[in-house]
Amino acid sequence: MNSVRKFDARPKLNGSWKFIDDYSDKDMIYGYLYYAKVHHGVIKKISFPLEFDLTEFTIVYAKDIPGKNIVPEPEPDQPFMTTREITHFGQIIMGIAHPNKETLRNFVNQIKVDYDELPALTDIKETLENEKNAFGKEIIIDHRRNFNNSKSWIKTHSVYYTSHQEQAYLEPQGMIAIYDAEKKTMFVKGTMQCPFFVKDAVVQILGNSVREVIVETSEGIGGAFGGKEDFPNIIAGITALLSYKSGKPVKTILDRSDDIQITTKRHPSRVEIETLTDPKTQKIRSLKIDYRLDAGAFQTLSPVVLARGVLHASGSYAIEDSYIQGRLFRSNTPTNGAFRGFGAPQAFFAIDSHIEKIAAELNLNPYDFRKKNIFRIGDELPSSQKIPENHLLDCFEKTIQKSDYQTKYREFIEYNKNNKDKKGIGISLGYHGGGYTGNGEKILNSEIKITIEENAEVKIFVANTEMGQGAHTTLAQIVSETLDHPLERTIVQLPNTSKTPNSGPTVASRTIYIVGHLLRKLSLKIKKELNFENLEKYIKKKSIKFPLEYRMNFVPDPSVFFNEDTFQGIGYKDYSWAACVSEIYFHADSYQIEVKKIWTVLDIGKVINLQIAEGQVQGGLIQAVGYATSEFFYKKGFGRLEGFTDYVLPTSLDIPEMDIEFIHTNSEIAKGLGEIPMDYPAPSIRNAFYQATGIFINEIPLTPEIIFKHIREQKK
Amino acid sequence: MKISFKLNNKNVSINTDPMRRLIDVIREDFSLTGTKEGCGEGECGACTILMNEKPVTSCILNAVHADGNEILTVEAIAETPEGKLLIDCFDETNAVQCGFCFPGFLVSSYSYLKNDGEANLDKIKENLSGNICRCTGYQKIFESVFMACNKCDSNTE
Repeated sequence: MNSVRKFDARPKLNGSWKFIDDYSDKDMIYGYLYYAKVHHGVIKKISFPLEFDLTEFTIVYAKDIPGKNIVPEPEPDQPFMTTREITHFGQIIMGIAHPNKETLRNFVNQIKVDYDELPALTDIKETLENEKNAFGKEIIIDHRRNFNNSKSWIKTHSVYYTSHQEQAYLEPQGMIAIYDAEKKTMFVKGTMQCPFFVKDAVVQILGNSVREVIVETSEGIGGAFGGKEDFPNIIAGITALLSYKSGKPVKTILDRSDDIQITTKRHPSRVEIETLTDPKTQKIRSLKIDYRLDAGAFQTLSPVVLARGVLHASGSYAIEDSYIQGRLFRSNTPTNGAFRGFGAPQAFFAIDSHIEKIAAELNLNPYDFRKKNIFRIGDELPSSQKIPENHLLDCFEKTIQKSDYQTKYREFIEYNKNNKDKKGIGISLGYHGGGYTGNGEKILNSEIKITIEENAEVKIFVANTEMGQGAHTTLAQIVSETLDHPLERTIVQLPNTSKTPNSGPTVASRTIYIVGHLLRKLSLKIKKELNFENLEKYIKKKSIKFPLEYRMNFVPDPSVFFNEDTFQGIGYKDYSWAACVSEIYFHADSYQIEVKKIWTVLDIGKVINLQIAEGQVQGGLIQAVGYATSEFFYKKGFGRLEGFTDYVLPTSLDIPEMDIEFIHTNSEIAKGLGEIPMDYPAPSIRNAFYQATGIFINEIPLTPEIIFKHIREQKK
Repeated sequence: MKISFKLNNKNVSINTDPMRRLIDVIREDFSLTGTKEGCGEGECGACTILMNEKPVTSCILNAVHADGNEILTVEAIAETPEGKLLIDCFDETNAVQCGFCFPGFLVSSYSYLKNDGEANLDKIKENLSGNICRCTGYQKIFESVFMACNKCDSNTE
């Protein structure tokens, strides 16, 4: 739990750390992705403004692509650029480049595209209600036990909705591509989570027209949260094509308005739940879930989000009989993608709201009802995976105790009888399977490399990027502590596809859990092989040829098997667990929820750097507060939002007090941490609002407008 | 148009379109890339600079606004005693995550430390409310500035 300092904090603070827009070159020209401004239609005509000299511009269309016009994705169905048909707002029509940024902007603003517009599906509920809009492969988890339902069991049914959520990384997306015509090489640098995905995309779009593609990250990556998992593929691909055609280095930086309008968001969801509960034992006996995600116009990586969503859909409760159906729905909105949580926040919002509904129907205290039903060691998930430990129960009990939930719950009932403004307290639980789903890690087969240099510097080569989560500090710390070598001489190298082996993408809470674990194993192997007490002394004594190079691949656990057809087996080898309690104050006049305090207890296994881990949880909790209360993506009557002025992110004045604790830290394994803090808190805020007002709202965000709408409807 | 101003304690003069955004002048003409563009509409505070000692967002100002004024960017602020103290505190708490918003936070915190500096959480939150951070949940930022205020107090006493 040694909180060593981050190696990059000081240069980031004084402004010297370089983000993608901070790199320049005298020959560099500026790129722009020109995109459709209609939701659905066919391009009739593109007219360029006459006062510009077109020969100064480089323009690329789909027809100029020498390779394939399909972005490589789990489901490769999205083109880099459209040929004629527009299926969503923001679909890219052409790439344009010019040496002068202002000229480019003026030119772009005056381009006119005429469309034959077609009817479009852009409303979330309209999309998700109609089964005709389902597309792609459906997932069924059938864990039905076909017992005779008792007539005395209580049926509880409800539908839950969540909206889009914008990642809102502070640094907008951007790429630089440099084509070397002599060597026929393409070098791409940018802000990204997955250098090898970007490489695959550039290879795909350029085909055999280049000999080699090298992708490197910028020094700084200004936040990502999943938003820089796959969209960078498109920016890199088109920017590389512009560089290939112009023969010049091209820099494409999305401004915030473009970034917020065209890049991927969290999937809106509709989750329908039906349960049967035995009022005598107060146990949920049966569970049926219909889990739907609005994928946008293309599937891309949505099937993987869907898989994680359904595997987390039953929540934290032991229910022996369950049936879960998961489907993607198509709309004419930009393709949705990865965002911290990856299908789990939508699942937990639904199930932990539903638990509250059952408790209310049975007239039970939410804590008591959860305690009856929370899963315990040996219970089965719908995938038949057995719960290995009672750590979630421990997180739950500890959070309840720390927050003094039971006392407050009673006190607030009294308080609310006599006051116009209301107080509420709510619970939610959650977990997150670390690493890729099912057999994913086996297929990824991550590889890492460590070298020892003559000057006793230990270099770590991984493809995983440092985007603020502290990964490069934590990974260096793991190697430094295992080799017993000074941290300042243990350095993670900048990810570069020609230098770093492919240790997989920086996603799925896998960087420390999978890659960090591999680094630890390799460090132990190095230490054993070289048999040294002190690396520096060892190097001085021995005459060896430097650098010493060590490599290691991921070794799958043979006992881990997952059936991709039935979704039965080990969905994830190790789960992180968490519970939280939120206390809110509801301002009755302004319909505003003020989150006063959040208590949370997590089991993420071994905590390598306590401050970094706390920082991850604090940031995740606040993203969840935004998800639950303020972050709403569509503006009535105006369509999509255009920037931070209308997308309401939590500021320093919206921050509740946070009480965070990690338990069961004496573990050997450092489990997934990145995503879990965003997964589970939102329903606790909804549940607190329910306690405060007695108004059951089945959707988030709980903005004043949405609260007002529900209060008016429920009064009717 | 000729525009003259004081930038990081030096007199400078440029010939440029007066309507160019000030952030572009700072980043492109003077290569001071510590000032970041996060939103381009004065909402996120990543481009915060000091103009005549007041924090302003340089993405919604034009080059002409700089004329005759005194500008300090993060690069100069980081070299002041207060800037150094703040950097030490941000470092000590491991507050920095992606770091894109932090130059802006440093400028705003510096301004608070210089002009008020009371170790008061409510005041700190109020003074930093023009800067958005998406990574940290702000908690460690508050702690760092609070720590700097305390250290500043004990230095002057």
